[in-house]
Amino acid sequence: MYFYKIDVGETDQSIPLPNVNEKVLRKVLEWCEHHVNDPQPTNDDDDSRRRNTEIDDWDQRFLNVEQDMLFEIILAANYLDIKPLLDIGCKTVANMIKGKSPEEIRSTFNIVNDFTPEEEEQIRKENEWAEDR
Amino acid sequence: MDSSSPPLPAPTDLTATWNFLENGIEHIMNRLEEGLSYKRYMDLYTGIYNYCTSSRMNPGFTSEPLAGPGANLSNNRGANLMGSDLYQNLQRYLERYLHTIRENSTHHMDENLLRYYTKHWEKYTTASSYVHHVFRYLNRHWVKREIDEGRKTVYDVYTLTLVSWRDYMFMHVERHVMAAVLKLIERQRNGESVETGLVKSVVESFVALGLDDADSTKSTLDVYKEHFQKPFVEASEVYYKAESEKFVSENSVTEYMKKAEARLREEENRVKLYLHQSTHKPLISTCETVLVKNHTDIMWDEFQNLLNLDKMDDLNRMYSLLSRITDGLEPLRTRFEEHVRKAGLNAIEKVADQVNDNMEPKIYVDALLEVHSKYNDMVTTAFRGEAGFVASLDKACREFVNRNKVCKASTSKSPELLARFCDSLLRKSSKNPEENDLEDVLNNIMTVFKYVEDKDVFQKFYSKMLAKRLVNGTSASEDAESSMISKLKEACGFEYTSKLQRMFTDMGLSKDLNDQFKERTSMEANEQVDFSVLVLGTASWPLQPSTTNFNIPEELERTFQRFKMFYQNKHSGRKLNWLFHLSKGELKANYCHLSKTGYTFQVSTYQMGILLQYNKDLSYTFDDLKQSTDLNADVLIGALGTLVKAKVLELSEGTEVGDPTSRYELNTEFKSKKVRIQLNLPVKSEQKVEVEETHKTVEEDRKLLMQAAIVRIMKTRKTLKHTALVTEVIAQLSNRFKPKIPDIKKCIDVLLEKEYIERVEGQKDMFSYRA
Repeated sequence: MYFYKIDVGETDQSIPLPNVNEKVLRKVLEWCEHHVNDPQPTNDDDDSRRRNTEIDDWDQRFLNVEQDMLFEIILAANYLDIKPLLDIGCKTVANMIKGKSPEEIRSTFNIVNDFTPEEEEQIRKENEWAEDR
Repeated sequence: MDSSSPPLPAPTDLTATWNFLENGIEHIMNRLEEGLSYKRYMDLYTGIYNYCTSSRMNPGFTSEPLAGPGANLSNNRGANLMGSDLYQNLQRYLERYLHTIRENSTHHMDENLLRYYTKHWEKYTTASSYVHHVFRYLNRHWVKREIDEGRKTVYDVYTLTLVSWRDYMFMHVERHVMAAVLKLIERQRNGESVETGLVKSVVESFVALGLDDADSTKSTLDVYKEHFQKPFVEASEVYYKAESEKFVSENSVTEYMKKAEARLREEENRVKLYLHQSTHKPLISTCETVLVKNHTDIMWDEFQNLLNLDKMDDLNRMYSLLSRITDGLEPLRTRFEEHVRKAGLNAIEKVADQVNDNMEPKIYVDALLEVHSKYNDMVTTAFRGEAGFVASLDKACREFVNRNKVCKASTSKSPELLARFCDSLLRKSSKNPEENDLEDVLNNIMTVFKYVEDKDVFQKFYSKMLAKRLVNGTSASEDAESSMISKLKEACGFEYTSKLQRMFTDMGLSKDLNDQFKERTSMEANEQVDFSVLVLGTASWPLQPSTTNFNIPEELERTFQRFKMFYQNKHSGRKLNWLFHLSKGELKANYCHLSKTGYTFQVSTYQMGILLQYNKDLSYTFDDLKQSTDLNADVLIGALGTLVKAKVLELSEGTEVGDPTSRYELNTEFKSKKVRIQLNLPVKSEQKVEVEETHKTVEEDRKLLMQAAIVRIMKTRKTLKHTALVTEVIAQLSNRFKPKIPDIKKCIDVLLEKEYIERVEGQKDMFSYRA
């Protein structure tokens, strides 16, 4: 568990973050310090930011880490309520899925297929509308 | 610092998690003053986070009875959000917590109840904001999802605490709280000093509880309006109704107005001090009804008294009270107008009594001004220059300026007197005011002028008198003259003063002309008569031609002819009419052996004609003089009269000047203390005739003005109904005079006859313009 001292008003008490380990918190802080001067996002930005999958170069390099680390960062962003970091984290994962077949996705994320063939057929039917023709 | 935080519970264990949370919430709600460590805060947050994220860790766990579209999904759907249990537990906790507070509130009454309510409200809302933050993860995910999916009964946690307070606390105690509030305010109105902070807190609480059912992020004032404002305004109405009725029955109206004014100010301050500003309008308008509107009759009745006594302060107070309500001032305006009119008439009657028919213009104008300025002051100070009162003042002034005892039947008397007053100010005289004062007086004249209906009459008299001042060289100051003319121009437009301005131009041109003439004659030499002439345009100058013939004395003949030649050379084709009756000259008399230096007589040209005869002989009969001067009898008598009276001539035969048999001898024994003797005095009877003539020419001019106006209007309108035409004529001429409708009709008839306009066939009372 990592204790990081930040200046909170008039106190210098430490704030414990039980769910984030030191390695991840360092990464999160690195991201925060890089973006410290970003303009405050407005509600309109929120929508447009979510709609595209673009990630700026620095963030791409920053998130170019092992899968475990990527997921840890996403979890920490959610826990600490750092919206923009959460967004680009999720976008990165989405980009990893994009254009891949179920099999490829399973191998990318190391997922064991636990569907029965019937279940699989059922799901395909339900989602037929979304497939490219 | 609270370090005894229990360890975090297992994320999937609801009971353990809730116990852990309840422990913390309990601490926040009841013992926040002991502090809350960051660790404890983060543990609570993390506990909630862990619980809410636990379903993803363990896909098999789905105890959530989720309503809405997500409810029937199979348990392997990872997007299932946890949180409903926590939310409901929190809701139940708040209900229990508030129940206790409510129970305990029954032990308190009145002010103590207010103290209890506000103390707990403040504590509760502070704690709630902490709880809200602790539950931030829940707010962000589960609550957000529920609200997005349209669940109306799920709110973010802070709103939940407010809703809970409203439902479990407020709804049950608000009656008692309001009763206590109203009692407290009544005590303050009765003059006690009370703890107004309590009311302020209650107001804040009621305002905060106004939650919009459609959108919980928005707030409304519904709760405050329904539960606070309504009973409060009603109570105020009852209170002030009783108070004002009692006060009115025991005190004078002026005292009551002071009271009402103070009460209204008090209530306005009350809103500012501790109520919501939205209460201002309903409260004040209710107070205005009860304190002012319900007592308008007695105030209206009192108004006349206050006017009679010139009670400025009370009048001002009455004005500001009655201006608060609709139609409160109208009766005052009518009464004020009537009062001013009477005051004006009385003032004129007073001065008219002193000097009967022969009104001194200054006294008259001063009397008018005094009334105007007094009530103008009243309008600006007591009635704050309000437009309605200004209009009433103007209406009243217009009445008494044009129709009063001095004017009698004719509205043309005022402009005449006003013009005379101007003349007395602008004519050279020992009593002329200083330049600065003069400007003020002229401005005052303009004030009266504004109200004069027959502005054309003023124009007539003014130009007559201006002409006299210029011809006789008696104008006191050119600056003052032009200042007055520019004021008139400002009031009535360029056309009104164009003739007056022409007159000044002619004066200037004449001066140049005389200079040129003098230069010419000095070259030709042996000119002995000092001669100057004014050449004035007939169109601009209101000068009457002479009524008599006149033989120019031979001493003047040569100069006279020479000037005529000179002028014809300069401007061939112009006709010079000589106005000898307006001319004058000086004669040096060397025959008086009682004086060494001799005398200088200032005489009219006619008198000069008579006196110069005596260079040849010392005695003439009336007929001799009549023949030699060619003057008609009346004029000759007038001229002789002054000469005889001044003892320059002596009546030697006949009993009276003008007798056919009378004879006049030059008085060689003439004696006077002065060296220069003014013999050119106006004849009284002439003056009166002149005034009458002026009034007559006004009538003639009006006919022309009306006809011109009709033609102008018809030219633009082409066709017009009779009534519309009359209205437009009146409107166009209103800044000159008030045309009478029969006169307009006559003018229309004249124009029909002259074929400027014609009747439209088949249509009644319709005229059209004939190009």
